[in-house]
Amino acid sequence: MESKAGTTETRSNITASDGEQVAALESLQFTDEFHRLILAPTSDNVTSLTALLELPASRALELLHSPASAKLIAAPAPSFEALKGNFLFPSNTTLIDQAARSSVFAGGVNNTNNKSNAPETTSNNSTLNLEKAVKSEPAETESSQPLVSDPAVEKRNFKRKDHEKKAKGSTKKSKTAANDSSVGPEKLPYVHVRTRRGEATDSHSLAERARREKINARMKLLQELVPGCNKISGTALVLDEIINHVQSLQNQVEFLSMRLAAVNPRIDFNLNSIFTTESGSLPDNKFPSMVMPLIWPEVQVNGNKQQHQQQWQFDALQQPVWGREVCNNYITPENSLLSYDSSANSATLHANQTENGAMKSEEVPTVRVVERLL
Amino acid sequence: MHLPHSTLKQEFVKKWIMGLQRCKFSNKKMSIFERKKAIKLSADTAMASARKGLTCWSRALISNPDRPVPTTTRRASSACKKIVKRSRRIRRTAKCGAARKGQITRSIAQCLVRKRTQILKSLIPGGEFMNEVCLIEETLDYITSLRVQVDVMRSLASASARASEPHN
Repeated sequence: MESKAGTTETRSNITASDGEQVAALESLQFTDEFHRLILAPTSDNVTSLTALLELPASRALELLHSPASAKLIAAPAPSFEALKGNFLFPSNTTLIDQAARSSVFAGGVNNTNNKSNAPETTSNNSTLNLEKAVKSEPAETESSQPLVSDPAVEKRNFKRKDHEKKAKGSTKKSKTAANDSSVGPEKLPYVHVRTRRGEATDSHSLAERARREKINARMKLLQELVPGCNKISGTALVLDEIINHVQSLQNQVEFLSMRLAAVNPRIDFNLNSIFTTESGSLPDNKFPSMVMPLIWPEVQVNGNKQQHQQQWQFDALQQPVWGREVCNNYITPENSLLSYDSSANSATLHANQTENGAMKSEEVPTVRVVERLL
Repeated sequence: MHLPHSTLKQEFVKKWIMGLQRCKFSNKKMSIFERKKAIKLSADTAMASARKGLTCWSRALISNPDRPVPTTTRRASSACKKIVKRSRRIRRTAKCGAARKGQITRSIAQCLVRKRTQILKSLIPGGEFMNEVCLIEETLDYITSLRVQVDVMRSLASASARASEPHN
């Protein structure tokens, strides 16, 4: 039969090994939590990842073995690559997508444990509904849309396999999910668990399994983040790579800070003057000129602020190129951390300025100034 | 934490510059090592505060900014210990007579993983107090922040090097 062939094909694609099954189970852990988070209004983008991902830990969650989750494991791969440039937790949204889809199926299968076409249609509808809800999330849900139709089809095929599994003596357990009192408008009062053959079903091992699978999900995120970890299998080796990476980054920071300290003892960061002179009125292409005078081998210490302020404005009017020669009449009376010589007067001048200067106006030009650096 | 890379950079730069300015007034003359320490301290604090207290490592870093420089001698010793332990365990199970290879490898793997997590805990600021789940999340965040820090510092160093060239 076509569907059977399709089933086996997808199965082979996903390599229905134990590892994948575990991964399939793990993706459903986040079902209820993400469900709530999606449907509840997420206020801002600065929600903590720990808050987001720690929620499953606070519950004694039961897993619903939805066969469609096997398909979901293949789904995150393209979205990971799409979001590769975004270092910060691209797979958050991927997990949200997974949970969106899996929670739909959870709701669908919950109604009837056995074969019938009703849950599939309802799951289709609720998929669309949930899809609309998920659309309100940031734009990364686009990747999930083409996959909506597929899981529904797969689900039907997988259901048949599921019954075979049941016949093999898998156990079933139901527990009241503790998330009834939570915000989500769609309630899931009972979550049925279907464990694999030979696995214990008491609460401790289930919780431990949930925890382990959560850890595996995080490890996958880490593997995406650290370059070169994708091909490595095995937690210990991946951890090795991560440790190496962190150590190398820390060493780089040390080295760079030493380098910055030693670049030139007479280099000044005259950001104060920048702030006072240019209060955000510079166009962008002038900013490199502003930064250049900062990083300046100090020629003279004397000079008053007036002079060099005027000179900086003069320079700003030109079209400077980064690294181009600059006039040598720049006077940099201020001193900074990166300079040896510091005259007392200029330091006090500085002191007065920083304390009294409007910090707000400082921040905006600072950012724009150094943005050019970046 | 859906902060994109660039806003994190901006936050870090802002706070770093503020920190550097404040350091200015403390010591008129500093040796190069003191300056390096001050730079690094202000950079680390800026990076941690750019996180706005959402992560555990940032709070730990702010409260205890002085961390020992990571050493690289750990790896060889751990590899040796691993070999010794493995041989010991195999000898032990050979004595018992049980041919449970799966369990042996699993326990060895667990031991390795445990060692690695201990090392990772020592690397991440404030890592000793986290469980495994939190540790991995903190590592994710810490790695991205370190990357941002390295990027900014590197661009600054290269810019200053370029600027000082024509005047030497």
